[in-house]
Amino acid sequence: MNELIETLQFVYAPQVVNGLAIGVAVILMALGLTIIFGLLDVINMAHGEFYALGAYLGITLVAKGVSFWVCLALVPVVMAGIGYATERMLIQRVFHTKDRHILTLLLTFGLAIIAEDVFKLAYGPNPYKPDSPIPGASELLGVILPNYRLFLIAAGTAIIVAVWIVVYRTSLGAMVRAAAFDRHMASSLGVPVERVYAGTFAFGVALAGLSGVLLAPIYSVFPTMGKDFILMAFSVVIVGGMGSIKGAVIAGLVLTQIQSISSLYISPVWSDPLVFGIMVLFLMVRPQGLAGRLGHG
Amino acid sequence: MKRLTIIAAVAAAFAATGAYAQSGPIKIGVVTPLTGTYAGIGQQVKWGIEMAVKEINDKGGILGRKVETIYEDEEANPNVAVQKAEKLFQVSKVDFLTGTVNSGSTLAVGQVAERNARLAATTVSFSDAITGDKCSPNMFRVNAKAGMQSAALAEWMVKEKPNASVYYLGPDYEMGRSTVAAFKAAAEAKGAKSVGEVYAPLDNKDYSPFFGQIRAARPQVLYTSVAGNDTVRFLSQLSEFGLAKQMQIVGAAGSVTAQNMGAIGKAAEGYVTGAAYSGEIDTPANKKFVADFKAAWKADPDLYGVDSYGVMYFYKAAAEKAGTTDTDKLRTAMRGLEWQTPQGKKTMRAGDHQAIQDMYAVKVVNGKFQIISKVPGEAAVGADTCTKF
Repeated sequence: MNELIETLQFVYAPQVVNGLAIGVAVILMALGLTIIFGLLDVINMAHGEFYALGAYLGITLVAKGVSFWVCLALVPVVMAGIGYATERMLIQRVFHTKDRHILTLLLTFGLAIIAEDVFKLAYGPNPYKPDSPIPGASELLGVILPNYRLFLIAAGTAIIVAVWIVVYRTSLGAMVRAAAFDRHMASSLGVPVERVYAGTFAFGVALAGLSGVLLAPIYSVFPTMGKDFILMAFSVVIVGGMGSIKGAVIAGLVLTQIQSISSLYISPVWSDPLVFGIMVLFLMVRPQGLAGRLGHG
Repeated sequence: MKRLTIIAAVAAAFAATGAYAQSGPIKIGVVTPLTGTYAGIGQQVKWGIEMAVKEINDKGGILGRKVETIYEDEEANPNVAVQKAEKLFQVSKVDFLTGTVNSGSTLAVGQVAERNARLAATTVSFSDAITGDKCSPNMFRVNAKAGMQSAALAEWMVKEKPNASVYYLGPDYEMGRSTVAAFKAAAEAKGAKSVGEVYAPLDNKDYSPFFGQIRAARPQVLYTSVAGNDTVRFLSQLSEFGLAKQMQIVGAAGSVTAQNMGAIGKAAEGYVTGAAYSGEIDTPANKKFVADFKAAWKADPDLYGVDSYGVMYFYKAAAEKAGTTDTDKLRTAMRGLEWQTPQGKKTMRAGDHQAIQDMYAVKVVNGKFQIISKVPGEAAVGADTCTKF
């Protein structure tokens, strides 16, 4: 009996709490992706690079003497501007064509490739690792957790709740959902659909940038970092249901816990195939995902 | 008389162009990762080679011919490396190929070199198999293999912590598994106890899921062979979780280098590795090399930079000994060749194409590798296990 408690406490508990921190990181990435997909019907292949851009902006500002906490507020604002401009100047150009899915996918994919090379030209190929703004570790019931990861779990949860409130409990969110449900009807009722589109894209990009700043002290900053979370985030969006915030949160938590716990028993190399296997199963059996689309229920 | 002068001048001009066409530049193909997690390593490879080529060309080239380099990005992916190597041999007609980083790439490129009857050398790959059971008559290795690094490190470890319990974490591919296997064998032979091992995927972002296992095994020493940005994450996450203080962290020579040490920062302090090179080697040749390298690239050389610099002098010495760049004559000249590098004299063992050189145990102190012990090359290199030629 004692042995069982010890196993739970020293083997499973740290694994679950660690998985939770990774889960929050993945959900933050998936949220922006799923909102953009749910409303604009655009698969943003450059989402990972917007995440990297946020991280690079963060380390640049910190190097200039701006405090990390100010960066957390400043970078999303800058990123939102960049996102807004990207939507109006690039995505809108191919948005109204018949091949919208393919063209926007190729456009954002191209953006991702360009961005990755620009990072390399501007910052070089070597990684940067910002110091943790909250150093040290705490012990909770015998489980040692770095303070910054505890902060990440708390801050991430707050951001997720805030996003949920904005989308489901404000008139702004109601406009967004209305535009996603039926853009023509929303437009005829006076919703500025074009600006709602650009604003939503900007919101998703700002979330990616914010994740970049938040996660840089844990995962370091380097040109190809955009690829890190993007596959996992796409899996979460597919399993959770494209455009569903609730689905993304549930899928993000479940998938990262599966990865975390399974890595105790199987070679970690298999934990990715396991997650993608679940994604493929969902695509075959329940292509709409756990929850429905944004604006559809 | 005047007509005779003109004829002589024309004849001389023809003779000159004829001679020029025969010589032409010696082309060196460099297939190295210029993008991805190993881009920092590729950068050192490029810097080392460029510096040596410039020195050689300034002094009249090799056999009176200028040296020219052509770069291709292998993306640390054997499939890409094979395509790029094939292209360099077939289309660019390079005389010699080097630069591969990923051990899988080096093994694959060795076979490409065999098919094209050209020679190649790696300056980075650690896997013992390259000059062991998967040796190739057309592949040479001028850098130290995993076994040599392990021997130097194990030697230091058993002196420092006799009968230590050791945990191993490596990246899950050829290099990771072979480095762990080599160190494990060397450490166990000297009385260390293995308490567990785990292999993480290349480009793994979070190592904390493995910390539970590591903590449960309670090792005194943690050995790792992750490289590039993976080490940045692994070591900083270890210290983030307070694990770094509880054990001595040791690892492969490629894990902590000048390229990623800045990013790792304080988490690298106290890290010990077996290495073929340290910028601290106190010889005039090395001091000049480090000063020139810094002047040229505004960065410190690491083991990849110095070995990639050295491979050009290896090629030069062999070509001058053979008097030609003909593949078979060059191979004969390379076997048993002794040449000078910033690390000192190296000898290319004829039986397996592995360079023999002195090894060091080095420790990170204030962001610099300090030499803490030295192992002679013959003691570190181990037996020749190549049976293919």
